[in-house]
Amino acid sequence: MKIGSTEIKPTKIVCLGRNYLKHAKELDSPVPTEPVFFVKTKNSIITDGKPIIYPRILYENEEFNRVDHEVELAFILSKRCKKISSENAFDYIQGYSIFLDITARKMQIFDRNKNLPWYRSKNFDTFSVIGPRIVPPNEIEDPHNLNIELLLNGKIQQSSNTSYMIFKIPEMLEYLSNFLTLEKGDFVATGTPSGVGPIQPGDVIKASIEKIGTITHEVILED
Amino acid sequence: MIKIGDISISPTKVICLGTNYLDHIEETGLEIPKEPLLFPKTLNCLITNNQPVIFPKYLNNNRKYNRVDYEVELAFIVKDKCKNVSSDDVYDHILGYTVFNDITARKMQTKDIISQKPWFRSKSFDTFGPIGPVIKTVNEIKDPHNLNIELKVNGKIKQASNTKHLLFKIPETFKYITQLFTMEPGDIIATGTPAGIGPVVPGDLIEATIEEIGTLTNKVILEGDEDNL
Repeated sequence: MKIGSTEIKPTKIVCLGRNYLKHAKELDSPVPTEPVFFVKTKNSIITDGKPIIYPRILYENEEFNRVDHEVELAFILSKRCKKISSENAFDYIQGYSIFLDITARKMQIFDRNKNLPWYRSKNFDTFSVIGPRIVPPNEIEDPHNLNIELLLNGKIQQSSNTSYMIFKIPEMLEYLSNFLTLEKGDFVATGTPSGVGPIQPGDVIKASIEKIGTITHEVILED
Repeated sequence: MIKIGDISISPTKVICLGTNYLDHIEETGLEIPKEPLLFPKTLNCLITNNQPVIFPKYLNNNRKYNRVDYEVELAFIVKDKCKNVSSDDVYDHILGYTVFNDITARKMQTKDIISQKPWFRSKSFDTFGPIGPVIKTVNEIKDPHNLNIELKVNGKIKQASNTKHLLFKIPETFKYITQLFTMEPGDIIATGTPAGIGPVVPGDLIEATIEEIGTLTNKVILEGDEDNL
């Protein structure tokens, strides 16, 4: 897949949950003492302005008819790695991008309350949006001081700064690579700030991160 | 890419069913699901026949987490890109069947389940997804829902059941999954484990067998001992 002018071949997408304090509180989740990770599968990835498809299976079911936006800073791995220490973390980062972790919220809460995996609610086709380009580390002096925001139909819904992350990138990379081998092209989404909320078919999402750019995606109902 | 017997596949995802045998549901204390319960394993966990399962030091050295379990399962491999497959056409989209061992860091999983966290880290350590020894094509297996399935540790039978006890059968499972997600050629779906799950320790030999497919053999070694094989 191509993000801007850069080709990457991810084998997995790992996302952090609850990595901004205010967001953990808005979902009534406990503040984590270690990073909380979950996975998104490749079928969910889109880029380059393609539409986010609102699945009919959710739209037509009152129990599940809420789909949310979540804007996040993502970083892409530059090489295969395992058990790296936080001091060397930045040697393994190819660059940064904007990520939208689209989530079937009612389904996620339903599953969570039953102690079930967080999987199906996160992995519908088109529920992982990445772009508009990969910005190399030398263009971003400090990834933990970037304004991050999301507009829905022109109205600001999420607005924060990456300085509010609970677990910073070196810490999360050390923790994650202690568990599993990361491959070149894999990417990690670092969690969303508060202000998550529902989207509807017809909505236009604009997500921006300072020094990276803006991605714009329309939401459409599945045929 | 991973070679299973003579067949190479390039999976983009591994989807596993939890709680799909009634006797296993009883031993876990979980609810009987109304629809297939799905979780992913990442590709870094895949190994094949006779490769070692590595018991992570991180788990071994931590009393809170030092239990790792075997789980034998029937897996099927997706043949082509597909979405919204109807139950009648399911077998047109399946390349074949194989044996899968869903190795699980059990104490870690239990802790994460209780605190309503994702089932991810406990399932996706490197080498926690042995698969093989071969892929038997759809034509070679008359009825995938009538196969004896068993697992031995050091020669002693720990799990013994038959795939006829699957709660959600393959057509139902596949229809449900493809309603949610696009599947790609080579994607792996593991159909859940019967009762009898239990721990392994470094030095153990696991033999997982499904009738008409064969035996998947993997030795458990402690992380760091890879060079002493």
